[in-house]
Amino acid sequence: MRRFVPALLAAAGLAGCGGSGDGLDVRITLVVPDENVRVEGTECAGARPFQYVHAEASYALEDEDGETLAEGELPAGRAVNADPSIDWGVERIPTFCVLELELDDVPRRPGYALRLERGSPLPFGASLVEGGDPVRLTVR
Amino acid sequence: MFHPATVACALAFALLSAGCGGDDAVSGGAEDLPGPVPSGVSFQEPPADALQAPDFSAQLVDGTPVTASELWDDRPLVLVFTASWCGTCAEIHRTAARAVAGQEGAVALLGLVPADDGEPARDYAAELDLGHPLAVASEDVWLDYAAREPPLVALVAPGGRLLRGWPGGVEEAVLVRELDALVER
Repeated sequence: MRRFVPALLAAAGLAGCGGSGDGLDVRITLVVPDENVRVEGTECAGARPFQYVHAEASYALEDEDGETLAEGELPAGRAVNADPSIDWGVERIPTFCVLELELDDVPRRPGYALRLERGSPLPFGASLVEGGDPVRLTVR
Repeated sequence: MFHPATVACALAFALLSAGCGGDDAVSGGAEDLPGPVPSGVSFQEPPADALQAPDFSAQLVDGTPVTASELWDDRPLVLVFTASWCGTCAEIHRTAARAVAGQEGAVALLGLVPADDGEPARDYAAELDLGHPLAVASEDVWLDYAAREPPLVALVAPGGRLLRGWPGGVEEAVLVRELDALVER
C-alpha cells in the first residue's frame, strides 16, 4: 500500500488538486503615505511612523476569516511624488514610498486583507483583483 | 611516560584553549572601537550656535555597551543610520568609512541599525567588515536625529555639537571636504 501513496499524490498534483492553477494572480500597489523628502524614483522604505514597511519585512494575505492564503517578504519601494500637481522645482521632494507586490495563484475568496508586521490589516474585495489592474492599498 | 591518548587529549585542549579553529572577534564589535586620537592632531572649533547632538547609549552588535559622547569627546564622530535590509545603505556606509579612513584615526565612525535589526546586523557588519563599530539603536535615538528612514549620515564635532545631517546619504567628496575642514594637522 505504501508504494501507492507517492503515485496517488503525483496523480492528484497533475490533476490540479490543492488549487494550483485555479487561483488568482494578485497584484498590489502598496502606498506608504509618509511624505518623506527623497529624490523621486530612488529606492525607499517606509519612513517613521511606517518604518515597519521595508524590504524583507514579512506580510501575509488573509481571507475574510483570517486564514492565511499567502505569505512573503516585501520588496524595496520606489519614491513617487507625493503631490504631482506641484512643481517642486528641486531634486529632493515630498514623496510616498510605493511597493509592488505580486502573488501568484492565490485561492479565490470573496474578500482579502493584506496584513503587515504592524498596523491594521488592509482589506479589499475580489472584484478589484479580477479587474486585472493592481489593487492600490494605502498603509494606515 | 604518558599514555598517547592522554597526550592527544591534552594537545587538543591546548589548541582549543589557544583559540585555534576560529577568531572570536565580531565585525562591528568592541575590537572595532577607535583607539587613541593620533598625536599632533587638533580640531576646528564648531560654530557657537550649533546645536548639541543628542547623547545616547546603545549596544554594539557583540553586546558591548557604547556611549556616543565618549566617542565624540575628543574627536569628530560620523554617525551612519543604516539597516541590513536597506539596499542603498551599505554603499553609503562604505563611502563614509572611506572618508573617515582618510583622517587616519582622527575621526570616529559609528553605524546604527534599528532595534529590530540586531541579528541580521551582525551579518551586515561581517559582510562590510569596515573596521568601525556598529550599534543597535533604540527608536528614541532615530527620532532624536530625525532619522525617519535609513540611510542618514550625521557629523558631530568634538565635544558634541551637531554640524551636519544628510538624509539619503552623502557623497564621499562632500564628507571628505567637511572632515578636512574640521581636522588640523
